[in-house]
Order: sequence, then C-alpha cells, then structure tokens
Amino acid sequence: MSALLRAELLKLRSTRTALGMGIAAALVTVLPAVLLIAFLPKGTIGGDEARSILIAGSSLVTYILLVFGILGMTGEYRHGTITYTYLATPRRGRVIVVKLAVYAVVGCLAMLLALLLANLIGVVGLPIRGVSYPAPDGAALADYARQIVTAGLITAFGVALGALFRAQVVTVAGTLLWALMVEPLIVALKPHIGTWLPFNVFNQVISLGIGTESGVAGELSRPEALLVAIAYIAVFTVAAVFISMRRDVT
Amino acid sequence: MAVIEAEHLSKRFGKKVLAVDDVSFSVEPGTITGFLGPNGAGKTTTLRMIVDLVRPTAGSVRVLGSRYRDLTRPTTRVGALLDASGFHPGRSGVNALRVVAASAGISYDRVDAALEMVELEGAARRAVKGYSTGMKQRLALAAALLGDPEVLLLDEPANGLDPEGIRWLRTFLRARAAEGRTVLVSSHVLAEVEQTVDDILIISEGKLLAQGPISELTRTAQPVVRVRSPQAEKLEGLLVAKGAAVNRLGDALAVRGLAGAEVGEVAQRGGVTLHELFTEQPRLEDLFLQIAGTRRDA
Repeated sequence: MSALLRAELLKLRSTRTALGMGIAAALVTVLPAVLLIAFLPKGTIGGDEARSILIAGSSLVTYILLVFGILGMTGEYRHGTITYTYLATPRRGRVIVVKLAVYAVVGCLAMLLALLLANLIGVVGLPIRGVSYPAPDGAALADYARQIVTAGLITAFGVALGALFRAQVVTVAGTLLWALMVEPLIVALKPHIGTWLPFNVFNQVISLGIGTESGVAGELSRPEALLVAIAYIAVFTVAAVFISMRRDVT
Repeated sequence: MAVIEAEHLSKRFGKKVLAVDDVSFSVEPGTITGFLGPNGAGKTTTLRMIVDLVRPTAGSVRVLGSRYRDLTRPTTRVGALLDASGFHPGRSGVNALRVVAASAGISYDRVDAALEMVELEGAARRAVKGYSTGMKQRLALAAALLGDPEVLLLDEPANGLDPEGIRWLRTFLRARAAEGRTVLVSSHVLAEVEQTVDDILIISEGKLLAQGPISELTRTAQPVVRVRSPQAEKLEGLLVAKGAAVNRLGDALAVRGLAGAEVGEVAQRGGVTLHELFTEQPRLEDLFLQIAGTRRDA
C-alpha cells in the first residue's frame, strides 16, 4: 500500500495537471473576491455578507476538484500508464482505493487553501472599501469544515466515476452536464427525487445551497447527507473495482 | 520446471473475434524464445494474458509456477515491455520510470541503472512527448528491467529501432540470456529475431502452429533449391509438373519439394539453361511460410 501511495503522490507531482487545476482553483477563488472589492460601493454590505460572497468561488472549486478526480483515473487509461500500474499491482481494487484516498486528501487540502486564500483577500482587501472583515466565528469555521470535507468527497467521487467509465472526455463532459444541467432540472421539477441525487446530496452536506428559502436544496439533514454521499462513493467504487477486475487492458 | 506454462489458452473478444484459440506452450528457463507470427496473430493478447492484463476466456497460464497476480512484487520477477506509448507525455523519462519503480516498491537507484542499460541517460530529464519512437521503445525496455527480473516478456521490442538499435537489442537480449534470464520476445519480422532466439513459438490466426528449438525446426523443414535461368517460366512449369512448390521472381526460382539434383535433371531433360543452382537450408521465414502454408492447405 505504501508503494502505491508513494507512486500516486509522484504521479501528482510529476505532471502539470495538478498545477493547472491548482491555478484554475486559485483563479475562481480570487476572481469573485477581486471583483467584489473592486466594485463594492462603500458601506453597502456588512462584513459577514462580504465573507459569504468571498467564499462563493469555493463552490466552483468543488467542480474543478470533481474534474481533477476524473482526470486522475481516466488519465491512466488515456495515456496507457494503467498498463504499468496494473503490472506492478495486479490487485486492481487496491489501485483504485489508494488513488481514491490520495485524491480525497488532496481535495480537502485544495479546498483548505482556497478558503485561506479567500479569507486572506478579505482581510487585506475589504478594509480598502471601508468594510472590516470579521474573524471567522464558530459557525463560519463549521461551514469551512463542511466545505473541506465535501471537497474531499467530491474529488474521490470523481476518481470513482473515472474508474467506472474510463473514457476521459465522455466522463468529464457527461458528469458536468449531469451536475450542472440535468440534476438541477430534476431538483427543480421533482424535488423529492432531486433530494437524493448525488451532487445535490453533496450540496446538502455543505448546506450552502442556493435557491431555497432555508438555503438547503433538499430534505436531508447534514449528517444524513454525509452518509448518503459516502454511500454514493462506496457504491460507485465497488462497481468500479468489480468492473475493473474483469476488464481487459489491451 | 518451465518458466511460463500456458494450457489451452483462449481469448475471445466479443462474439466474433477469437484472438487466441486453444494455445498451449511452455518456455524453458535461461532461453530466448521467439514468439513469431504475422500482425494480428494473437501474440500481444497472449503476452497480456501471461501478466493478467487480459483475462483468458478459457485455459490458464502460469509464470514462475504461479498466476502472475499471485506473485509477490511481480515486476521484480517478471519484466514486461508491452506498450512503448504507455507513458504520460508530460512526464520526464526519469519520472516516468520513477512512477513505475515507486508502484512496484523498487528503489530509485534502479531507475538510473536501467536508464544507463538502455543508453538513455542523456534524455532522462526531457519530457516523453519529445522522444522518438525508438527512444520510447528503449524507455519501455528500461521499465521492464527496473525490477531486475528473471523473466522478460517483450512485445515487438524492435519496433521503431533503427538498424543500429536492432543490433544493440540483439546483443542486449543475448547478454540477458547469458545471465541466465528467460526471455520471451514477440516479433512479426522473422529475420529480426532469427539470429537471437533459441526456441520459437509460431502462431497464426490465434493458433499455435509450431514450437521447439529453432535448430530442430529448421532442420526438419524442407530445404529450398534456388535456381536462376533465362527460361524461368518454362522451368517453373516443368518443376510444378514434377510436384514441386515453386515461387518465381523474374529469372529466379525458389523450389521446395525436390532435391537440387532433381531440379538439375528436370532442367537438363527440358533443355533449360541454368545460370545458377544451389540448395539452401531453410531460413526462419521459409519455415514459417511452410508451416503456415501446410496449415492453410489442411
């Protein structure tokens, strides 16, 4: 297992994919914050409101992490490196589980950095517009913690999707289409079904959903949503392992 | 004990493609075995079945007495060159090998040794996307050698190599065999491996046609009588009438099924002038054509 861990970390460090994803995540975090500070008329919003706008970019970071997870697994098939991976570790389930764990941790760290960056911009930038940036209270820290956990889960979910479907472009495009168009439509038209759909479940873990009065686009409590999210990842991972063990690497 | 033992190995892709059909063979320790056959014969599929990348539809294969997946740290026992393009294009050569080494729990020191062995140290820091086909082939060979394995499986290792590279590969394989390692090397270019291998396996259309030491198989094969004549067409007709198999190219004939003396007598009786006549021991290519032809006729 430690050999696989070491290999996964080296894979992340030795190409530009992780760096590119990191830059994209930093941009979507920084951009809303800079726009807010640049165009905010003085005295129009309070510090707490400014903070929630500042960290809004982090919801986009989760999508970047989802794609990052998909690329992490599908890239192995796209570039043919899966041959060497499975030659070294013929027990294919281990490969998928270790990659999933590594990407989950990386997803958590990426979100932590994004939140730190957003807060740093707030601390430095908002006073320029006459808004004092409040130190995060317990509720804000809890929000951050949920965002970090969800980021890890969604990155792992990306790995599981990649392991299941293999084809990189199709998996990325299909997943984004589902997450950004199909699922929101179902949530709007059939909320009782939408509550249980995967990306809405992840959203309910964070409970920063937009578009409902309560701010939560679903009926699940946070712990319930967390359990369902983990169940989704588990089911997709088991399916991916089961199918991977029977697939030919040609 | 055989190093590789395949028993009634078959692989079907979908309903229509039977890539490997009931193939059984064994590879003895310390030998270089050529796995020969035309493109699409089933060589790559068989090699991938040996290392568990492709699951057999029927039959089984054992390497070093076990299924590949049951070997402890398998890449330190069996090195495989199966896909020279199996590296991330953005990764440097040295990092590509370090990833392979890390996955297998192999020390990074071996990466430098393997790069030196394939004479690729100078390009080690460059991204793989800038490598030529031959360099990628050498990198893949280095990956196979990382674990210092006792068995090497090489799928078309001469692909993309220039004549100097092919000569280097021959020397390299001989050196590995001299160290007591076992090599199974596939190729569709028969002349390429003829000077290198001890034993051969011949496969065509998924079926194993022949196996054994190359010297024995070529000895039992029919010799070829090569003839040159300004009346080649007439001579061809006379020889065919005598039951020989003849290939004609311009004024040159390759005759199988008759001895040199018989060919000379047929020519003399037919009043055909000969410019050249000699008997040649069959080459691997002749052997392959003969075996494949016999099967087609059957």
